[in-house]
Amino acid sequence: MTERSGDARPVPHGSKACRRLFGPVDSEQLRRDCDALMAGCLQEARERWNFDFVTETPLEGNFAWEPVKGLGLPKLYLTPGSRGGPDDLGRRPSTSAALLQGSSQEDHVDLSLSCTLVPRSPERPEGSPAGPGTSGGRKRRQTSMTDFYHSKRRLIFCKRRP
Amino acid sequence: MELLCCEVDPVRRAVPDRNLLDDRVLQNLLTIEERYLPQCSYFKCVQKDIQPYMRRMVATWMLEVCEEQKCEEEVFPLAMNYLDRFLAGVPTPKTHLQLLGAVCMFLASKLKETIPLTAEKLCIYTDNSIKPQELLEWELVVLGKLKWNLAAVTPHDFIEHILRKLPQQREKLSLIRKHAQTFIALCATDFKFAMYPPSMIATGSVGAAICGLQQDEEVSSLTCDALTELLAKITNTDVDCLKACQEQIEAVLLNSLQQVRQEQRDGSKTEDELDQATTPTDVRDIDL
Repeated sequence: MTERSGDARPVPHGSKACRRLFGPVDSEQLRRDCDALMAGCLQEARERWNFDFVTETPLEGNFAWEPVKGLGLPKLYLTPGSRGGPDDLGRRPSTSAALLQGSSQEDHVDLSLSCTLVPRSPERPEGSPAGPGTSGGRKRRQTSMTDFYHSKRRLIFCKRRP
Repeated sequence: MELLCCEVDPVRRAVPDRNLLDDRVLQNLLTIEERYLPQCSYFKCVQKDIQPYMRRMVATWMLEVCEEQKCEEEVFPLAMNYLDRFLAGVPTPKTHLQLLGAVCMFLASKLKETIPLTAEKLCIYTDNSIKPQELLEWELVVLGKLKWNLAAVTPHDFIEHILRKLPQQREKLSLIRKHAQTFIALCATDFKFAMYPPSMIATGSVGAAICGLQQDEEVSSLTCDALTELLAKITNTDVDCLKACQEQIEAVLLNSLQQVRQEQRDGSKTEDELDQATTPTDVRDIDL
């Protein structure tokens, strides 16, 4: 039975929806624009998180980045491209995929990064807690989705009250 | 021996959860919906190459693809939301517009469907003017520009909330729902509605659906004015704004009906070609 593995909703033969709308597409221009926009996204992310996502190195800024070892995460989440398989359409190893793919696979096996927000007060005594919620010692945890959510909410809140 | 039955719908649906239809959810939707609106009227301030009629062209094509692929109803309006939000921030040449439309359908379908559209299929629909690899690369670009905020609120999210608060006979509900969904798709093809809150489009669409059906048969015990007032109360919308929105929806419907009739008068076209007019087929069933 061929239908079983095949597509349940194939494109009907001679479908009128198959058409190009605005003439020929220039692949070269597509690629250039894609690279430029992707570089812009990377730059934005770099400034937002003071982290270079291409080389995976922390930079100076509001966030303190530190390596976290032995999280015990399944390999699936750590080694990009480990699935391989036919769905991997031979992506270019360029900046456009840099947000997803790291520089080298070995780095990812048992190294992950965690970031904490450094308080803005300039005179931060050495060894003091990194944030208001911690009870001594260095804050060391994996960021979770809710962290991003709160910071996002705060940003929106600020914007709406000029 | 053949034991496999291929006629079973492969998509299994969960039963509606009443907990997701209470006021708490409705209030949350109303609170967050404006976060996902495009930030500006981009034909004036961002785009140089793209004209409003081009958005209509790409929207019409996207709707045809979604209908032919029997996508879930939300996929098309959600994809249009992605497209508008991207265009509100990134100046784009018109030659990229169809690729962008394909990427937006790709993302919306992945978010909303059990069996999503594939990259290869979408490329076929562009008459192979783009390659799957390009689609995947641009997927990352669009995700980056949308800041990965894909779970946008669409008018569909409000439909059940609205319908359950109307004094309707149950047997009419599915017809009203179907017409309202058609109006929502119609609104998504027209840029006029791109910056309206989804709740207003949803209430306007339900209002237009009931008022339109009312002319043929009794579907509601309320008069149109009383209905509009009730609808406005449900989604905290200003009554006059809602009236204006509903009138605009009716005008867009009328316009697209005239377009269809014009095409019919042109005569040279076959029934088949008429089927791909800008509106879903059942819009034409509404008698005005």
